[in-house]
Amino acid sequence: MKTPLGLLAVLMLALSACSTPGASNSAPETVAPTDEPSAVASASASEAPAPITGSVALYTSTTQGTVDAIVAAFSEKYPDVEVELFRAPTGEINARIATEEREGRIRGDVLWLSDPLSIQQYDADGHLRDWTPREIDGVPEEYRADRFWGTRLLNVVLIHGADVDPAPTAWSDLTDPAYADSVAIIDPGFAGSAFGSLGYFATTDEFGMDFYRDLAANGATQLSAPDEVVTGVAEGRYKVGITLETPAQAAVANGSPIEIVWPEPGAIAIYSPIGVFADTENAAASEALVDFIISEEGQTIIGATGFQPIRDGVEGPPTNGEQVAPDWESIFDRQAELLEEYRTIFGE
Amino acid sequence: MVSDRRIAGGIGGRLFAVGALLLLVGIPIVTLVANALADGAEPLLSLASDRSVDAWRNSLLVAAAVTALSVLGGVAAALATERLAVRGRTALRIGMLLPLLVPDFVTAFSWQQAYAPGGLVDDVVGVSASWLLGPIGVIVVLTAGAIPLVYLVVAAGLATRAEPELERAARASGATRLDVWRSVTIPLAGPSIAGAATLVMVMSMNAFAIPSVLGTPEGFVTMTTRIYRDLAFAADSESFSRVLALSVLLAGSTLVVIGVADRLLPGRGPARSGVSASSSMASGRRSWLPTAPLWAYLGLSTALPLVALVLTALTRGIGLPPVPSNWTLDHFAEALGNRFGPAISNTLLLAVLAASAALVLGAVVVLGSRRSGRQWLGTAVSATFAVPGTVLAVSVLLAYGGALRDTLWLVLVAYLAKFWAVAHRPVAGAVDLMSPDPIRAAHASGAGPITTLRTITIPILRPALAAAWLLVFLFALHEVTMSILLYGPGSETMAVLILNLQQLGDPTVTAALSVVLTAITLAAALPLLARRGLLRRLGWA
Repeated sequence: MKTPLGLLAVLMLALSACSTPGASNSAPETVAPTDEPSAVASASASEAPAPITGSVALYTSTTQGTVDAIVAAFSEKYPDVEVELFRAPTGEINARIATEEREGRIRGDVLWLSDPLSIQQYDADGHLRDWTPREIDGVPEEYRADRFWGTRLLNVVLIHGADVDPAPTAWSDLTDPAYADSVAIIDPGFAGSAFGSLGYFATTDEFGMDFYRDLAANGATQLSAPDEVVTGVAEGRYKVGITLETPAQAAVANGSPIEIVWPEPGAIAIYSPIGVFADTENAAASEALVDFIISEEGQTIIGATGFQPIRDGVEGPPTNGEQVAPDWESIFDRQAELLEEYRTIFGE
Repeated sequence: MVSDRRIAGGIGGRLFAVGALLLLVGIPIVTLVANALADGAEPLLSLASDRSVDAWRNSLLVAAAVTALSVLGGVAAALATERLAVRGRTALRIGMLLPLLVPDFVTAFSWQQAYAPGGLVDDVVGVSASWLLGPIGVIVVLTAGAIPLVYLVVAAGLATRAEPELERAARASGATRLDVWRSVTIPLAGPSIAGAATLVMVMSMNAFAIPSVLGTPEGFVTMTTRIYRDLAFAADSESFSRVLALSVLLAGSTLVVIGVADRLLPGRGPARSGVSASSSMASGRRSWLPTAPLWAYLGLSTALPLVALVLTALTRGIGLPPVPSNWTLDHFAEALGNRFGPAISNTLLLAVLAASAALVLGAVVVLGSRRSGRQWLGTAVSATFAVPGTVLAVSVLLAYGGALRDTLWLVLVAYLAKFWAVAHRPVAGAVDLMSPDPIRAAHASGAGPITTLRTITIPILRPALAAAWLLVFLFALHEVTMSILLYGPGSETMAVLILNLQQLGDPTVTAALSVVLTAITLAAALPLLARRGLLRRLGWA
């Protein structure tokens, strides 16, 4: 009996010995609180009646650099709150929440997505908490709903290879035979920004679903993520593409041979919404995180990391033309229908 | 010699091993099947949908094509180094290990950087492989990765199981070298070729990373990538039913392949005394010429893609020529930023835990089934390696997701289930070869079982134990099929980080991270390459 039991004991010892570093490692995206109790006291004393502690699970599709900067600043302000981050494309977040629902309970606390259509589905199902952020007035009215609010604007723009002639100037140019088999677009099932764009094109008289049919007829290719479009156009695999302005600007800054166009009638401005899950077990810390992102301080970080802040008067990247947007509320609850119609044109 | 205590030890070991087997594999698989059945007719119906049928057909197509091509390539390579007078045989044997050490998702991604439109070869000579994304690319890259496997198995078979006298007799009777190969060498190597073919078929049917990187963007979806998409990117219940159904189908298909192979293919012939046949069979002047295609294969499949990968990581902006004036270390700095630390520590922790625990489990099985003559336990453990990683991950998620979700422990359970067999085999091989005399001597001198284990058994087995540990460690460094389905906030590994970044479409940081992981893997594998006779200890030769 001794030999295997001895081995078992060794195994148990090995496992338990490793469980201490394992525990701290098992939440590596957690931003560890700093050991400054004085800062805690002053921050919570001045901002909230009870000290805010515990952990907050943030599910977000926001660009890594932006969300990292936000979490770092928030943790400095609330050293007793641990932020657990799950950053993934919108489609992956949706799947994760579906799995958690199947297992009994949504484990996330705060949901921060890239487009209002995706988050509204959760609101319609009663998954979002009913409350009001402290500085709600800072968010312009068109970017607010009852239980989720805009945090930043994503501009969907056109990019083209530096040597592409003629350069496109309007969305409608994409169906021009000059770009046949050389247009890259993003998958609305993968990226929230593409879902938002689908909402705009589908409900705007000038375009409608026919715009996507014409794109398909012109041999457009559906890629997954906005960065993939930037890469494809920079490498010359596509002449033009629909993508987000922020990654395109990053590529331009690195010297990639692409140019950014704010096409006619305008860049599609999609607001990136945030809300708290109704199932949250740490409402205080979750609300504090949302309040922080909407505050001037949070908005300044968003501007500094390349996105247009939702608040007026906070500095962000310059806008280079007109912005257009659909009437979001008019398309709420039509998401499944839009996506299904899109799928009949572009498939998965 | 066999005391009551030793028998009791064997029974205790068996009980422990059976318990672990149930916990790691049995309960998860039963949970999967139970879930699929509990879901009513949905899973069955979902199997009839176009998506499922396409995925199944594509998986079988890939498995068949990769098996046929890599057996051709691998057998030719083995004949060249083992039966022809070649120079640089040792260098070539080590070289053939290199493709196996590069993680498969890095291989796929680096081929893209080298050969896809806009890649290195396109930049330099203006030629590109537009077929790289899609079924042909998936098959070609999987084949390139499988050739070294076939080569290793068949070369080992040629070295130990051939009959030099028969081949000499045939030559002396006037047969040409090709005749000898066709009528003597290859039939004698039949069992090892059959074994290699089965291995490749199962591995290519269960392959995930390469179809995911090269197939999915073009809509070429296999069973493994279909399950991943349905589990990680879809929120509807129909997709979940399909996950259950396809998982059961994939496991079943793998079983059928193994079962059929077992029936149809020739069994292992009696091993010869182990006289190496290669040196005696190679006559004439030693030449580099026969190995030229092999060096070309290594250059094109591994070296050039890795060069392209490094250049992508170094080049400042996407789409700029990869010349020194455009080089920067910025992407490495970004790669080593925020998320690198947690990911690399998760990866190393998992690899160390998996290797150590799998080694203990492997040893328990060996000790438990020794003397009793009961091989079924070892067979059962080996069989777990054939369970597709995707299926194992889905099953573990269903069985333990509620309690362990988002923890490294969940990933570790899956790793142990998969890699137990990897650790078991070298240890079992070494124990088989071990003479009982030193142990008898220790007992006769009054040593207890623990003392015997410490002073006799472990020292003798140390090289095999070290090899087994290292092998599992390397497997765990590469692993992405299961971890991509099981990771959560806080349990992201390097492989998951790289594959996710790759999907987002920015190749620069992806390439930098890939270079770092590949460098770590190669460094960890150095002892494997440096030590002679290690292949034999791994049970490969």
